[in-house]
Amino acid sequence: MPVTPPKWIIALVGAIGLLWIVPLIGVALTSLQTPEAIARGWWNLGNADFTLDAWTRVWTEYPIAASLWSSVKLTAIATVLTMLTAPAAAYAFHYLRFPLRRGTLILVINAFVLPQQVVIIPLFQLWRDMGLIGNVAAVIVPYVGLSYAWAVFLVKSFLEDFPKELIEAARIDGCGPVGTFFRIVLPNLVSPISACAILQFLWCWNSLLLPMLFLREDVPLTVMLARIAGQYDPNVNMQSAAAIVTAFVPLCVFILFQKQFAAGNQVSGGGKE
Amino acid sequence: MARVTLRNISKSYGQLEVIRDLSLDIEDGSFTVFVGPSGCGKSTLLRMIAGLEPITGGDLMIGGTRANDLDPVARGIAMVFQNYALYPHMTVEKNIAFSLKMAGYGRAEIARRVAEAAEVLQIGHLLGRRPANLSGGQRQRVAIGRAIVRDPAVFLFDEPLSNLDAELRVSMRSEIAQLHQRLTNTMIYVTHDQTEAMTMADRIVVLREGRIEQTGTPQELYEDPANAFVAGFIGSPRMNFLPARASGSALELPGGARLGCAGDGLPRELSLGIRPEAARPGREGGGLRLEMEVALVEYLGGTRYLHGHLADGTAMLIEARSAAGIRPGDRLPFTCPLEALRAFAPDGARLRSLSLLPAEPETA
Repeated sequence: MPVTPPKWIIALVGAIGLLWIVPLIGVALTSLQTPEAIARGWWNLGNADFTLDAWTRVWTEYPIAASLWSSVKLTAIATVLTMLTAPAAAYAFHYLRFPLRRGTLILVINAFVLPQQVVIIPLFQLWRDMGLIGNVAAVIVPYVGLSYAWAVFLVKSFLEDFPKELIEAARIDGCGPVGTFFRIVLPNLVSPISACAILQFLWCWNSLLLPMLFLREDVPLTVMLARIAGQYDPNVNMQSAAAIVTAFVPLCVFILFQKQFAAGNQVSGGGKE
Repeated sequence: MARVTLRNISKSYGQLEVIRDLSLDIEDGSFTVFVGPSGCGKSTLLRMIAGLEPITGGDLMIGGTRANDLDPVARGIAMVFQNYALYPHMTVEKNIAFSLKMAGYGRAEIARRVAEAAEVLQIGHLLGRRPANLSGGQRQRVAIGRAIVRDPAVFLFDEPLSNLDAELRVSMRSEIAQLHQRLTNTMIYVTHDQTEAMTMADRIVVLREGRIEQTGTPQELYEDPANAFVAGFIGSPRMNFLPARASGSALELPGGARLGCAGDGLPRELSLGIRPEAARPGREGGGLRLEMEVALVEYLGGTRYLHGHLADGTAMLIEARSAAGIRPGDRLPFTCPLEALRAFAPDGARLRSLSLLPAEPETA
């Protein structure tokens, strides 16, 4: 039953929402002002002169377009790999019996507690010895590997509620374990896979540390953003413009897919619930 | 079509043995129902025949071949699940066609067989729908369609009607029975509902705690139960069990009723089983004469169930077809013919050696 909330709640939530939006407005205005005007404070709109100078300069002086492409490439590959392999791993852990199943699962899930920073130095040494520094694989492998902790966990907890009869029915119908995964399980895992995909996308897109250390050229937007800040000149307006470009894509992804993100999809074998 | 033979089958989960040394022959083309209370191992047994549970010990033969280690497909079985287990992302047509597709049939052959199955079950108009848009009874038909389309040697049903409402259950019950007459494949059906077992089966296997209590036709089980468990489980309403005490050649029953008896090695304490429909209200008719205090009258239209208790408090339920005007609180005399009484030892075994005689005239 829909209930109209009291007015003061709307006012309170509105005020908090406004508070959250102020920095975004600040970034947008900063990107449209000259450095002098910014020095006076972006909120002093009285004598500010607006210009698209920062937007054109950041586009021409820095390889933003190339970085955007690099971000898209890295993120897309890492996201697709996670979308395919994490459900497969969750399925195997949940339904198949093999030696060391439990031990391996605990090992994978426990990577949750492992901060990214811990693996960086050994990984750097490994990539250097293998000559992979500067190669996209140097970033994609940890992107995907580190995602397993939560992605496998997320899909596996969804599979806890997945009707076991569907798997058994597939077995009776003559479908092997791999066929069952692709034909029966995967089509019914749309919502947890979407959730994984969105989380992985956002995480990879916003990742700074790994690409900054492991990539030389072809850096993604986040790294480029850090490079725009010059040694003597902070280039705040150009940073703001690049930040908007960087934030725009994940924002779109989130808005487009927020439904899948929130949806809890119950798979049913057709019985009475 | 195939004969299914279980030879010394056992099943353990770690230390826990749920089925022990079970042997059973299921005739080719028969409709066999496994029935028993929950936890008796009937579903486990069915799943072992299906190939969904590994068999711990013994041999499973299907159509003369040892099937212990065969895949479900190689066993030639098809199964209908309690929750139907329809693939939610496929249409009815694809659900039914799935096993044929897996078996590598051609498109035309698949279409022909699906149409045939849909015709048998009258679900032709549902082929384009998804399972979520079907009613319970329609889902059940699709689940059966998925099984018959493969023309398996053995059909397995795992409590397929328990999710349906009472009315639909009755109509599906007769449909499945008719389907069996039409297809003549071997069918094995698991249920905890003795009415389903009685109405559908050629042969009933009553299970308890992983063991077979009795095997036989519905009539054999009803009229000649091997023990008190089968007697109580088969038949609705349940059989009444009256405590009786044997002294010499007489049996003393609650409320001072007596019967003559003859037999060797009778235990002192035993119980007499009376089916509710065998008891006749009133004083006419020979045999056992008893009196009950009526506590509740259940009116069912054509018949009435009278709940109450005997003088010593033993619960009693009798069926009365023509006893209008009986109210709770009434004392109701009733009789029961001696041939309708079944005697059981305290451990539940049937006392076949006991023969009951009319009460001796009370001269002493």
